[in-house]
Amino acid sequence: MTNDSLDPVIHAPARLRIVAMLAALPDGASVSFTRLQDMLELTPGNLITHLRKLEDAGYLDSETTGNGRASRTSIVLTRQGRAALHTYINALRDLLGPL
Amino acid sequence: MPRTHDIHLATGADDGDGLDPREAARLLDQSTREAQRQFNLNPLWVSGIALLVAYGSLWASTRDQHPYTGPSLGVGTLVYVAVAVVFAASVKAYRSATAGVNGPSVRQQRVEGIAILVSFVLGSPVLQGALKHHGAGDAIVYGVIPAAAPLIIVGTTVVGIAGSKGDWPQFAAALAVVAGGAVAAFVGPSGAWLAAGITLFVALVGYAGADVPRHRRIEV
Repeated sequence: MTNDSLDPVIHAPARLRIVAMLAALPDGASVSFTRLQDMLELTPGNLITHLRKLEDAGYLDSETTGNGRASRTSIVLTRQGRAALHTYINALRDLLGPL
Repeated sequence: MPRTHDIHLATGADDGDGLDPREAARLLDQSTREAQRQFNLNPLWVSGIALLVAYGSLWASTRDQHPYTGPSLGVGTLVYVAVAVVFAASVKAYRSATAGVNGPSVRQQRVEGIAILVSFVLGSPVLQGALKHHGAGDAIVYGVIPAAAPLIIVGTTVVGIAGSKGDWPQFAAALAVVAGGAVAAFVGPSGAWLAAGITLFVALVGYAGADVPRHRRIEV
């Protein structure tokens, strides 16, 4: 079984969980950094690292509003990110075959 | 992204080189289910059962009344408490589900919630008041109308909302509620409560059941 056909940006446990959770929201809906961190139970630094990789690939957008303690960061899965997840799922199906 | 949190930067060890596709599929499925559980807005099963019990109590307390005088004070209080509990549970679930979530869909849900609340709060009481004013009997004012009218009025509101979103399971459930309300209007003041309770239970539980496979569509 080879992993070459699987998108390496998504094919990592933390990033896979991030994308799956964001994909559960309706199109265009964003989630706060704090809520996402609570759901994933990752440290802030770890989460930021994975979010940056996904953002660099164009799979999500983030927006920070406010300053200092009042700042709020929202994260949203882009259309490209949603499409990449579907492509990833199809690649997984091809690899695993009928279960 | 909040770069002030960089003090805990990850080592980058969480790459997928060692992640087996089968394990990835399991993780994807588990994460999707967890997210859907956390973002799920309504405790539909609980609401369906609570409403069935409430409406069933109304039916049980009025079924031997000839002529119909309406539910007893105790049962009426029980029903108000049940409705208040369902409402409070729904609000709590909604707030918990939408904490930290924003966007057009969340704003739309709030508007839909207001439309449903207004149609529920105003619809039946206005009709009851008007009918009482024009001399309608207790069987109509305190039996048929409060049992059937909310289903028809609120159901029609939800039919419109669901149709505009293309949410066909919700559309079908709301249409079933309207049909159940129409039936309830013709089965007598006591039977109307039973018909309404069964209709709401079937529609809510049916919709909850239809929603599960719909949400699982990205499973591998």
